[in-house]
Amino acid sequence: MQEAKVLSYRQINKDLLGNIFKSSNRYWLIVGFLTIIVLGAFAAAGYMINRGLWVTGLNRPIFWGFMITNFVFWIGISHAGVMLSAILRLSKAEWRRPATRAAEVLTIFSLMTAVTMPIIHTGRPWRTLYWAFPFDFQRGIWPDVRSALVWDPSAINTYLTSSIMFVFVALIPDLAVLRDRSTGLRRMIYTVLSMGWRGSPRQWKLQAIAGILLSALILPVFVSVHSIVSFDFSMTISVKAWHSTIFAPYFVIGAVLSGVSGVVTVMIFIRWLFNWEDYIRREHIDALGRLLIVIALAWFYFFALEFMFGIYGQEGDELATRHMQMFEPPWSWLFLTFIITAFFIPLGLWLFRDVRRSFLWMTITTLLVNVGMWLERFLIIVPGLARKQGFTGTWHTYAPSAVEITIIVGTFAMVLLLFLLFAKVFPLIPLFDIKEGQVLKDEIKIGRRRVPAVIRED
Amino acid sequence: MHSTHSLPIGDDVHTKDYKVQLSVHGEELDSKTIIEDVSRGFFAFGAFYKLALLALAALFAVGIVVFVIRAADGLGDASRHQWDYLAAVFAFIVSAAGCAPLIAVALRMTRNHWRRPISRIAELYAVVGLLSLLMFIPLLRVLPPIDGRRTLWFTDEFPGAPVWWNFFGLLGLVIAGLALLFVSALPDWLQTSRRGQGFRAGFAGVFAGRWTGTEAQWKLHRAVLAIMGAFYFLLLIYMLSIINTDFVMSLVPGWKDAIMPAHQALTGIQSALALVLITAFLVRTFGGYKKYFPMEVFWSSSKILMALCLLWAYFWFAAFMTFWYGRMPVEQTILKTFMFESYFIPFLINIFCSWLIPFFGLLMWNPVRKSVWGPTLASCFILVGAFFMMVRLYVPAFNIEDVTAFSLETVPAAVTPNAGDIFIIIGALSGAVFLYMLAAKFIPIISIWEMKEGLLYQRVRTLFRSRFLMVGKPD
Amino acid sequence: MAKKELMGLFTDAGYAAEAGDALERAGLTKNDYDFLTDTPYPEGALGERHISHKIYVFPFIGAMLGLTVAILITAGTQVSYPLITGGKPVLSVPAMAIISYEGTMLGAILFTVLGILFESRLPYFRKRLYDDRITEGYIGLVVEVDDSKVSDVERALTQAGAVEIKRAAA
Repeated sequence: MQEAKVLSYRQINKDLLGNIFKSSNRYWLIVGFLTIIVLGAFAAAGYMINRGLWVTGLNRPIFWGFMITNFVFWIGISHAGVMLSAILRLSKAEWRRPATRAAEVLTIFSLMTAVTMPIIHTGRPWRTLYWAFPFDFQRGIWPDVRSALVWDPSAINTYLTSSIMFVFVALIPDLAVLRDRSTGLRRMIYTVLSMGWRGSPRQWKLQAIAGILLSALILPVFVSVHSIVSFDFSMTISVKAWHSTIFAPYFVIGAVLSGVSGVVTVMIFIRWLFNWEDYIRREHIDALGRLLIVIALAWFYFFALEFMFGIYGQEGDELATRHMQMFEPPWSWLFLTFIITAFFIPLGLWLFRDVRRSFLWMTITTLLVNVGMWLERFLIIVPGLARKQGFTGTWHTYAPSAVEITIIVGTFAMVLLLFLLFAKVFPLIPLFDIKEGQVLKDEIKIGRRRVPAVIRED
Repeated sequence: MHSTHSLPIGDDVHTKDYKVQLSVHGEELDSKTIIEDVSRGFFAFGAFYKLALLALAALFAVGIVVFVIRAADGLGDASRHQWDYLAAVFAFIVSAAGCAPLIAVALRMTRNHWRRPISRIAELYAVVGLLSLLMFIPLLRVLPPIDGRRTLWFTDEFPGAPVWWNFFGLLGLVIAGLALLFVSALPDWLQTSRRGQGFRAGFAGVFAGRWTGTEAQWKLHRAVLAIMGAFYFLLLIYMLSIINTDFVMSLVPGWKDAIMPAHQALTGIQSALALVLITAFLVRTFGGYKKYFPMEVFWSSSKILMALCLLWAYFWFAAFMTFWYGRMPVEQTILKTFMFESYFIPFLINIFCSWLIPFFGLLMWNPVRKSVWGPTLASCFILVGAFFMMVRLYVPAFNIEDVTAFSLETVPAAVTPNAGDIFIIIGALSGAVFLYMLAAKFIPIISIWEMKEGLLYQRVRTLFRSRFLMVGKPD
Repeated sequence: MAKKELMGLFTDAGYAAEAGDALERAGLTKNDYDFLTDTPYPEGALGERHISHKIYVFPFIGAMLGLTVAILITAGTQVSYPLITGGKPVLSVPAMAIISYEGTMLGAILFTVLGILFESRLPYFRKRLYDDRITEGYIGLVVEVDDSKVSDVERALTQAGAVEIKRAAA
């Protein structure tokens, strides 16, 4: 690609492993700050479990609020890893190289964070064990296979395990580099983790196959996970606003939109934090911006279908839900904010090349997308419940308590903290991927112009 | 310290004559050969081709005759049930042939090189849009008024709904497709007009207009293709969604299915790629263009086809699961009508041919994907599956007695096609193929300018001890 | 005759490839030597031996196992506690299909990872010829050769441009 500098392997190792051996003060300050927030969130969750769910804003009929919104949001962010890593690997896009591991790692930690949400939401989290797992805890009572809430753990567990395996397999060559650059106890640990990797053609060939094969296998899992999470909503017939056949692909495409936006934000952040200007360049965020345009348009199509068919049914409770979302403050303000920040502003800006190549504007637009997408989940869940019919004694409203807000803020801090702690132990940008990019890079001369080219293996 | 290559970078390229191999294993092509081969194929008009055109025209004519006889009995809401199979075949043609230009647009956007031989094959299906438009008119006539039933147009007082929104939407789509084809063909018309004589050379010359290939023209050409492509894509998705809602869902009381329009659009894209691959196979085998279609074209397309088969299954499952789970009476009736009882046979054929056979039987296996016959065979199944999907959707919808009922109470019996329906189906399909084959004699079936552009960006290079294809990224 | 292991260290992939050619001229086959690199080169670029593997068997076995286990668990647990919920049958195929699908994919992925490690001959913790500079861009050429040919091989490697030659400990 045009802007890349040719770097020596020694320089690449030094740049990308720098933080592991010696972190900057900036890094430690940020880690410390995030740790404090996370501890605060743990305290809030502990308080909630100790006192009971009445400390939240949840009440009949709105039994799902901030925490479930947050659960769906983080499941959404977790889709970024597979989207970028798997699809770009399969399509052999060169610009994926600095983004893949950061995206995969973001997937793992956002999944882990997402999983904590429904667990603490139960109020008595220890009970989740026998609700979700097929073990005879209670003398012959087994989880209900027909429940969407039981499909969730199977899907999320599969995705989490697969993502961890995916990251680990691709990490082995870099663990060998760390082994060779370390001494003492660190060297011993990396030696065990790298499992004796030497870099023979056989090992590299199987690495390449692993990348393709695991990508191809994880892709169907990634589609199924958020579809199954959407089934938590769409299977119900009492909440008409949720009972829509479009929910599965709608949630998946929304997840991809918020996930890829999240990866862009994180990539620009780590570029700043670790001084990786040579590795995360304007051409990468330009390419991601173009991808986001396509994803945003697809998302809007599914949103339009979901919205239009909500009104198509002409059912009283569903129309009441839409009315609440669009015309009753403060929900109407939230709705306006959601649609403007999730779609219109970012898409409008991404159409301009200068915006896509600007680190500042891409940070702003991708943060806006995630603000909007968080609100989107909130506006699906709460107004739907607030206006559902059938066994509802009241049409109540909902406001989050300080406990819920603290927990939600804590989850954002937790994901970022875990991400940064990962960066302290493992490289966030795959070293061999960057080096391979240099090997495969070349130029073609056409007339007076030199066009960048890539060697393709047939 | 680390040097990567021991050979000098690239070669100087003269714009007119440059040789390069299409791939490491492919055959050698150059600019002059491409122009000569494609022009020769363009001007050839063999006896077999003429015979095929005549036969198709005859079948098309028979279909029209049957249509006219049937239309004489009435063309309104009361006779809607007579046009059920016309609606199904129309939906099949507008989905498959309508989405074909989108294949060219989308693949061009991804900037890969293997798409070049199939670009024009895909774009040429825009001419079939004329037939779609013709078939659409009687179907619009038989659509019942929207008052008293659910509709996407909010109320029965929505101005112009549904007829005019549908008609002008499809008209716009057809015009956009033809415009895309026209702009794409400009440079090739210039090339071919200079290499032949007679009416078609003159036609090409006239349509080439003032095209001379200046840098400004090429820039404009690229911009127009991109903008028209985006416009076509948006209009297409809109049209397929509207057609599905107005001609299927709105006619079935109580059926609220947000994914159905998207499912039809996806089926269109899947069947369009299948159609393009089958056409590419035929052009390769019978058109003498073997070296223009290396295995890589079919192999790379097969991966996309595989993904589309899985997506098809996914969309179907999302709809099925949502309806199956809740046990609501109207949803259970709809499942029984469109899948498990009345139209069970078409549904079985649909699911086997759109997903199970192409995916599990063929495309999942690497040796099958990495061949010319494998993806082509899978494509044949997919087209059959898409047709039966339209049958199981449109036929029962057009046979609903009372479209203003609150919900579907009973499972209606299946309606099998009679002789007239068969002639209409065969006539419509023949008409589509006839139009395409005729158009291929007025517009070169291989995009000369795109093939030549590909030569600019591909080289075979030796890296140490082996040879690899090097692909340029102009950005 | 006893076999000895040597490794030549090269600063450039081109020199390493030429060294491979030189070894073949000296009577060795591709199976006698192997390259160690810090980055994947396109297959065949260095003139290495052909690599065969059976990796594609692993996902199939894993998928079948995963599917079987998932069906057994879902069917077994429901039959053990047969409660009709929401009017759906006790053995609800669509619901079982979802969990079975996840089980299939999990099995396939886990076995694929096992297969990758197995085919890569990992983990391997015994001491082998290696140099830390390989991860700085040097190319290692490991040769297994009879005692009598060691000096020929060393000469070939040196002439091809090896900056250092290491021998395995006895």
